[in-house]
Amino acid sequence: MIGSLVIFPVFSIMQIIPKSIFSFSGTENGQSEENPRFKMILWMFVAGTRGGANRARILNLIKETPMNAHKIAKSLNLDHKTVAHHLKILTKNDLVEKAEKTYGAEYQLSGIMSKNQNVLEEIMNKIGTK
Amino acid sequence: MVDFMLAAVVSAFLNIGLLGVAIGTYVQNLRVIRSYYTSGLVLVAFLLMIQNIVIVLFWFTLYMDDKALMMSADMVAHYLFSINVIQTIGLSVLVWITRR
Repeated sequence: MIGSLVIFPVFSIMQIIPKSIFSFSGTENGQSEENPRFKMILWMFVAGTRGGANRARILNLIKETPMNAHKIAKSLNLDHKTVAHHLKILTKNDLVEKAEKTYGAEYQLSGIMSKNQNVLEEIMNKIGTK
Repeated sequence: MVDFMLAAVVSAFLNIGLLGVAIGTYVQNLRVIRSYYTSGLVLVAFLLMIQNIVIVLFWFTLYMDDKALMMSADMVAHYLFSINVIQTIGLSVLVWITRR
């Protein structure tokens, strides 16, 4: 028992891995108060799902003015069905919400999403102009 | 009697297929968004794929080369089977999330 402790000393993995690996954007914008957990979720959502870039574009499009699915499809030159699906998934994941509950309703950013718009901005910078 | 070794290899092939789907989606995203995050996802999925390819090669070596080795490998085959099946379940959930 003691022997095994000598061979495998107990230490935290955080001690050997530099902290910078776990921070997402480094320290250059230390003044922002973004939620790192939300940042990870949004990155996973955009980078790790099919059509993630279009989902980011939708979020970017409706961040100032709420739009309905038809308008979004037109602005982004996407299929209406695709946009409707993206909006459904975005709503389920609490990133957008309906502005009012009627048919053809306009969508807007959810509370947590609009609080963390700088994360979206960072992702949009990476996407660039396609 | 279930052949655990064979089931484990079937599961490994399933894992390779699921990882192929995941990598396909991640590479599509990598083309649009070049970041450490997208490239990291591709790398992780790729390494897991190598892991499963090695498992298949391992099984191939056992069964094609050495009958004595095969006998003892069969005794621990259910461990390999459970490792692979748990990975298959995990990857199925990942691919489901990814492709939604």
